[in-house]
Amino acid sequence: MFLKVELPWNVMIPAESMDAKGLMLKRTILIQLLEAFASKRATKELGYYLTVTSLDKIGEGKIREHTGEVMFPVVFSGMTFKIFKGEILEGVVHKVLKHGVFMRCGPVENVYLSHMKMPDYKYLPGENPIFMNEKMSRIQVDTLVRFVVIGTKWMEVEKEFQALASLEGDYLGPISEE
Amino acid sequence: MSGEEEENAVELKIGDEFLKAKCLMNCEVSLIFEHKYEHLQQVSEDPMNQVSQVFEKSLQYVKRFSRYKNPDVVQQVREYPLSFFSFVRVYMPYDFDRILSRHQLTEFELCVLCNLCPKTAEEAVAMVPSLKTKGRAHSDEVIEKMLNDLSLVKRFE
Repeated sequence: MFLKVELPWNVMIPAESMDAKGLMLKRTILIQLLEAFASKRATKELGYYLTVTSLDKIGEGKIREHTGEVMFPVVFSGMTFKIFKGEILEGVVHKVLKHGVFMRCGPVENVYLSHMKMPDYKYLPGENPIFMNEKMSRIQVDTLVRFVVIGTKWMEVEKEFQALASLEGDYLGPISEE
Repeated sequence: MSGEEEENAVELKIGDEFLKAKCLMNCEVSLIFEHKYEHLQQVSEDPMNQVSQVFEKSLQYVKRFSRYKNPDVVQQVREYPLSFFSFVRVYMPYDFDRILSRHQLTEFELCVLCNLCPKTAEEAVAMVPSLKTKGRAHSDEVIEKMLNDLSLVKRFE
């Protein structure tokens, strides 16, 4: 799910940039914020940090004595993406293996759908391997699939989420593109 | 894992951690991203430097998975003033905020419904099991009415 969040942040402006005043300073603060935000990538609590939507408040700058940098406490609104256990989502298959498929959903690269969670689908090997059921419904690379999230995992070092999916449930499975 | 645990897991995790968070539908995100690109081009000489890989992936995703395409409709539905209709019995279909309060949906539930566009009450409950719980006990009739409200928005596109 995409989320809009309001967050406090401390923006560090190097001493050299402090000659600018007024709007130029605000622009400098915004650019620093955008860079810091982009490098944050993701947290366990809020998910993937996608973009800043507005800079809502800029507090008074405080000089950091040792470095000469100025720290501005700001409040901004931003957008994140987090995957929740129990949530029903749609994704795109990007890899098909014997034991299951990997799907991409938003910024999450690896949502794993095990063959054990694809009721009635059988693996058909080949140059373009697919999973197919008796009704000839296919799951292969680039198939759009609606699934339920049965588990999520936050990886602190890589700053990534992984998720486990399932098609066990009504109205889940491959969907056609509108 | 029990079904009940899962539906609660979704709701609770939203409630506890995100007091100041709002859910966004794919179509809203798509609009915001488009505006973002335009804005970044004004603010920075190198807008590509300001967006991350996760932004790029998300952009591709919402472009593909947006159910409501018309930006005017999407913008209207979020901004439509609720107060205007508080004494009006005439039903105006394109108003997500009103749909939210009229049917007592949470933001999360509304967004899931708008992202997945279930066609029947049965499908809607499969997508959002909490519709039938949490003391609201929406009947199938009520759910169908809600889906009708949401689909009428689409017809204005």
